[in-house]
Amino acid sequence: MSRDLLHQDEIRALVREAYRSVDGESRAVAEKLYSREELDGVPAIALEHALGVGNHLRYARINLGDTVLDLGCGSGIESILASRRTGPSGRVIALDFLPEMLERTAQAAREAGLDNIETLDGEMEAIPLPDDSVDCLISNGVVNLSPRKARVLAECARVLRRDGELCVADLTVEDEELPPEVLTHPAAWAG
Amino acid sequence: MSGALTERDFVQKLERAGFVEIEVLERTPMGIDDCALYPLFTEELLAIMRDLIPRDRLNRIAVCAIIRARRG
Repeated sequence: MSRDLLHQDEIRALVREAYRSVDGESRAVAEKLYSREELDGVPAIALEHALGVGNHLRYARINLGDTVLDLGCGSGIESILASRRTGPSGRVIALDFLPEMLERTAQAAREAGLDNIETLDGEMEAIPLPDDSVDCLISNGVVNLSPRKARVLAECARVLRRDGELCVADLTVEDEELPPEVLTHPAAWAG
Repeated sequence: MSGALTERDFVQKLERAGFVEIEVLERTPMGIDDCALYPLFTEELLAIMRDLIPRDRLNRIAVCAIIRARRG
């Protein structure tokens, strides 16, 4: 299976380096996933570095006053959109393992005038939050990056309150594997 | 995408983690042109993909699944 092609530490290092050194803007990704109305008012710094794979927020049941965890927030586009739905009585916790991404999210929140987005430095395999502390967990194209997906999903369950919901967009593959030259390419672990 | 699971494996792992009412709400194929939108896919990787992935699969290299589940 593809997950056995590299050791966990190698995968983590590849993903970390790829996201840290990503070069080039990806506004086209945001514009493909979200409508013009949804993106209205989202700061450019969030749009220009969007790296998600789907529009899961269309299905996420986020209520006023909720605590939302954005797992792997990247440049913060989904944190911004979720924050509008929690309203000022709720909050969005934007978690990422790269300081560069957290800074982008914090800047985007400041530019959008949203003060209910908190950035949190941490890994999805060991979410630095208490048990039962989150109403809704969102994530876009992130779980596939982890070499320990069962651990990630167990952590998601741990931090969610009973009856809390997870709503994720993520890449899946069909049973027929891709060529090994693709699967073992360093960029394919991050992309 | 090297770490992507099959949809079946993803759902199984959610079940094992204690999630219930697991719904796959949307499936969107991701082809080579979609990959090219992302700066994470280098030109070198895109070229390898174009060379080695069968032509009839280039428009469905992976699938974006949107999954919602409730913590039981």
